[in-house]
Amino acid sequence: MRPRHRLDPYWMLAPTFGVLVLFFYYPLGRAFLHSLYEWDLLTPPRYVGLENYRVLFTSGALLAVFSTTLAVSVTAVLGSMALGLGLALAVNRPGAFAGFVRTSVFSAYVVSWVSVALLWLWMLDADAGVVSALLRAAGFGRARVLADPSTAPYALAFVIVWKIAGYSMVLFLAGLQSLPPSVLEAAALDGAGKLARFRHVVWPLLAPTTAFVGTTSLILTFQAFDVVRIMTQGGPVRSTTVFVYSIYEQMFMWLRVGRASAEVVVFFAVLLALTALQLWAYRRREAV
Amino acid sequence: MVSRFAPAPRLSRRALLAAPLGLTACPSPTRPVADEVPLWFTYGGKNREVLESLVGRYNESHGRVRVRAVFQGDYFEGLAKLRIALAARAAPALSHVVGEVIPYLTEAGVLEPLDGYPSLRGLDIVPELGQSGTWTGGAERPPVALPFNRSTPIAYLNGALFSRAGLSAPTTWDELRATAQRLTETKASRVVRYGFGCPIDWWFWVALVAQAGGELVESGGRVSLGGDAGVRALELWQTMTRRDRSMKPPPGRDYNAWEQTNQDFLAGRVAMIWTSTAFLKYLEENAAFPVVAAPLPGQVRKAVPTGGTHWILLKDAPARAKRAAAEFLAFMYAERQAIEWATRTGYIPVTTSAIRALEQRGHYDQHPNDRVTIDQLEVAMPWPWSPRLFRIQREIVQPLLERAVLGNESARSVLERARALAAREG
Amino acid sequence: MSRAKSALGPLPLTALLGLAAFLWLFPYAWMVLTSFKTLPEIVAAPTAPLPASVSTEAYRAVWRSMPLGRYFWNTTVMALAIAALQLVLALPAGYALAKLRFRGRTTAFVLLIATLLVPAQVRFVPVFTLLADLGLTNTLAALVLPFGVSALGTFLVRQALLTLPDSILEAARMDGAGELRIVYGLLPPLLVPTLVALFLFSFVYHWNDYFWPLVMTTDDAVRTLPLGIALLREQGTGVRWHIVMAGNVLLSVPALVLFVVAQKHLLRAVAASTS
Repeated sequence: MRPRHRLDPYWMLAPTFGVLVLFFYYPLGRAFLHSLYEWDLLTPPRYVGLENYRVLFTSGALLAVFSTTLAVSVTAVLGSMALGLGLALAVNRPGAFAGFVRTSVFSAYVVSWVSVALLWLWMLDADAGVVSALLRAAGFGRARVLADPSTAPYALAFVIVWKIAGYSMVLFLAGLQSLPPSVLEAAALDGAGKLARFRHVVWPLLAPTTAFVGTTSLILTFQAFDVVRIMTQGGPVRSTTVFVYSIYEQMFMWLRVGRASAEVVVFFAVLLALTALQLWAYRRREAV
Repeated sequence: MVSRFAPAPRLSRRALLAAPLGLTACPSPTRPVADEVPLWFTYGGKNREVLESLVGRYNESHGRVRVRAVFQGDYFEGLAKLRIALAARAAPALSHVVGEVIPYLTEAGVLEPLDGYPSLRGLDIVPELGQSGTWTGGAERPPVALPFNRSTPIAYLNGALFSRAGLSAPTTWDELRATAQRLTETKASRVVRYGFGCPIDWWFWVALVAQAGGELVESGGRVSLGGDAGVRALELWQTMTRRDRSMKPPPGRDYNAWEQTNQDFLAGRVAMIWTSTAFLKYLEENAAFPVVAAPLPGQVRKAVPTGGTHWILLKDAPARAKRAAAEFLAFMYAERQAIEWATRTGYIPVTTSAIRALEQRGHYDQHPNDRVTIDQLEVAMPWPWSPRLFRIQREIVQPLLERAVLGNESARSVLERARALAAREG
Repeated sequence: MSRAKSALGPLPLTALLGLAAFLWLFPYAWMVLTSFKTLPEIVAAPTAPLPASVSTEAYRAVWRSMPLGRYFWNTTVMALAIAALQLVLALPAGYALAKLRFRGRTTAFVLLIATLLVPAQVRFVPVFTLLADLGLTNTLAALVLPFGVSALGTFLVRQALLTLPDSILEAARMDGAGELRIVYGLLPPLLVPTLVALFLFSFVYHWNDYFWPLVMTTDDAVRTLPLGIALLREQGTGVRWHIVMAGNVLLSVPALVLFVVAQKHLLRAVAASTS
């Protein structure tokens, strides 16, 4: 439709873009600028050019943060997707019980990350936690999951999965329920067993949903700051210092605005790359 | 004058636009106050209760001044918020910070010199705890910090276990190792009780370095991190955790590790711990066994660093708030409050008159553990006045200490790396 | 599901579902049970299933240690303001992007969606210094304005409007309605499901937000509940789990209540974002 007055669309978009420019694009630009300086907010900034980036890349700090983030995120995404899909398949039936299970699982998604983090901090507590007691009873020795650098990232991933599996489940459920019943019936009539039906009919048809769940879950986990802050503060021995936590730590704890901004820029680049990747994969599939 | 990155004056037009939104969140005081003193504090638990009760007492007796105490988390989170607030020109008038960061804040020009406040002159501060004793050359600099909750590391022994085993407090490193091994109990190759526990923290490492005869910062300003003494200090921990297996390293970072140490001690899982004198009351009250305080052992010499925080006034605050804050501080240093603070929390009394009064009352006869903390002050060592030390401590040394004890690397290589990073620091 | 099956299905499946429900409900139950214990019980037998007697000591301690009412109020007002502001802005923007032809429409759309890539941790430092320069830290504005736009919300409004026949709008125009009247008068009733879902989703999300208030506020007067409860953990002398769990119960209950009441809409909001 044509606008009534030529400038109508622009004033309609003005408030939205006012906010976006002020609180998204301007900060992004400032982050780029800040990354070229060394600044602690209390004393005048000092220009250092690309020094922050050089330190980031050569000191191994970036690599450590990147690999930790990947370890946590990939585990959490795969875990929550598998669990979500399984749960969706299981609750995709009528009845109060299925509905009850669905509600229970999804409820974790609704409460705050703080709630979930505090809850599991208590449950996983090395000495007083229920889960640790169970692990010890099952013969796992010390069961200090959050205190051991080799298990802490996976403990975190577990907590993240617990919270977001419900999200995956709901999305997969929507995907399953939008599958054309005729296709499923045809496959059943063809004599295909349950498993074969799933592999050859359902799974391919779910591909767009799967892709969507995968990317959004990944983005969700990349932003999981609260759990880290509350449960491990990036430790022990920095084994759970993920990207967003590192940025916060640099900025807030150590007041290195330049360093933090350089990490911000790198992080943003990574997100961009991921999105581009997803778009490319999507296009390729569309073309096929 | 602190310069800003974007040298813009307050954009008043925008501020006007945003003002209505700002007003909706303005705290509405229940009665008009002449002078409000925002105080940001970072004590938790019991200490917080005591501080709040003292603040309440002050507010009640001084209608004109109202101290508004806001809890900001633990030391490090609170410090981060303080620095952020300073940058945003929204800092409170009064707060308290760990000693290590005061040189940095002073050089940054954000601390208000205290000699201009008559109410703060002539306080009989215990020298080792005041500015003159806390930093080398502290007496020559303008006063910017007043001690408040000061502490030193100290050893706490499980009295029941020690007397049953017929052991007494170790006075040397070798005795420490032997005692810890004697008190470590294993059952079916699992340790059910450790002899020794200590948070893997810069503070205790510094104590060990000094005991081994080292200096953190050389007289020229180079951060040597104790040299060989630093290595030996770290090796002691490594030996005790990995080889002797008599020392329990607690999990977590910053104050989680400290809490864990306390809990381990109280639950009888560790027979002897090193932690702050600040926890004396807490441990005495919650232990099911007699708690015996003992000074830390020595090697080349005995030495302990001081810890805890100092009051600071922030320069940027309005003059009235600062003056009122100074009056509140004078109240806190009055004998009655100084005694109450010390006895209720376990922090060392900061005025000599408070100590004398407690002696006269026979307090130390009834509480021999408190006496130990006072006596250990004789071997308290000052910190170097190094603005960079704080960063080096938090960003370089502390993480590496954890890694060295929990991992497999040698102490020497860890500290070499730390020294290299510290040299790059500035 | 064309074949009529028993609603519960075969036994292994029921067991599996039961396990799932247990896995997600037990932690809450444990949290509640813990909150009714006392400190000696926690220290002595932390994994004992039931408290010796129901003690409200933990809740009283939480109440004493922070201005709960104030935090709750701050959080609710902030979340309401954000959700409302987002809707107010999403309507005209979504309408313009869906229904009006103008130069730069695609660019505007791309720029809008691109912001989904910029998480809070990326933008908080410069936003903080900006707000500091404006003197707005520790105010409601600092917590609300940066979230005034919901890119997702605007997108969903646009999607919903794309399916709206132009004839309705043209008819309204011919009746003499101005664009403003169309956007805020005509459209909302037609978009009720979308708007309700968005409002709820945004409200819950921002009610639960921890990071932004953490970095933008230092004053108790504007502190939000998630922050306040998280501070319970940072005690100096012993982690008192019963108190932390009591605080956690208080923090979780509002979201759970809202969830139970508005379940359908929330689920729809999540499912609707599959586009």
